[in-house]
Amino acid sequence: MHDYLTAGFAMHQSLSHWCRDKGMLLHVHRAMHAVMDRQKNHGIHFRVLAKWLRMAGGDHLHVGTVVGKLEGDRASTLGVIDLLRLDNVPADASRGLYFDQPWASLPAVMPVASGGIHVHHMPDLVEIFGDDSVLQFGGGTLGHPWGNAAGATANRVALEACVKARNEGRALIEEGPRILREAAANSPALAVAMETWKDVRFEHATVDTLDVTHAL
Amino acid sequence: MPSETFSYLPPLTDAEVRSQIAHLTREGLIPGIEFAVDPAPSDHYWSLWKLPFVGRPSPDAVLAEIDQCAAANPTAEIKLVGYDSVRQGQVVAFVVRRPG
Repeated sequence: MHDYLTAGFAMHQSLSHWCRDKGMLLHVHRAMHAVMDRQKNHGIHFRVLAKWLRMAGGDHLHVGTVVGKLEGDRASTLGVIDLLRLDNVPADASRGLYFDQPWASLPAVMPVASGGIHVHHMPDLVEIFGDDSVLQFGGGTLGHPWGNAAGATANRVALEACVKARNEGRALIEEGPRILREAAANSPALAVAMETWKDVRFEHATVDTLDVTHAL
Repeated sequence: MPSETFSYLPPLTDAEVRSQIAHLTREGLIPGIEFAVDPAPSDHYWSLWKLPFVGRPSPDAVLAEIDQCAAANPTAEIKLVGYDSVRQGQVVAFVVRRPG
């Protein structure tokens, strides 16, 4: 794991080449991004930093989670995820994408959701991030009253239940709580996790908004 | 031992497998069937049961093929995989039959 902003652009580029040469997976964290991307008048928005990371090289990149303790505007986070994963990103000003961006066959980066996420967020996370993403449950695993293994099992059951339901055509956002309850009927570990995390919410408005007015 | 997607859920019923196959072909993926007897977690390569399907087979056709594979290999675990023709690889895999 590497912090590409605190380490510096040149060092990250060298490390990226080193990892490619050695066949080593490079998980990229973004500590210090908020210092750069919150200033509307002379900052660098995170979608630009994310594009740079895709060009410099990396396998995973932490992005906003939309839900959880760390913030991230929903529309712009979806834009960042597209920039990391798609071959062709069409312009969509509501997502902060002001022009068509063809990436040809430049390798994609998996977005990482992390920070204050727990089993109740799973339907939202699967809806927002889809396949080819990394969902990191830290406290959401270790905080399980039965221990780490039960915490991991609970998260896995919740994830599989959501993926299965999505593939069956069920609406994850509307039916999410019911899907989790059904899965918990067969998984005591998930039932306990749902009870543990039921009142843990992070409801605050995002600061990293898109500055659409000045851009167009 | 749990392996692959959906292994932490109760075993899928035929109706649930059919629904997943329908999703897979809707996404433009190509279904295929693999089997292995008592595979270790490190056994990444299972045997192919015939060739992957061509075109867009109906869920019932795939399920019938899974049943044939199970009848011919009663002690094997059977896995349904989905190939992506653009990314040139398997992007879906889950076990649909476990012996016993």
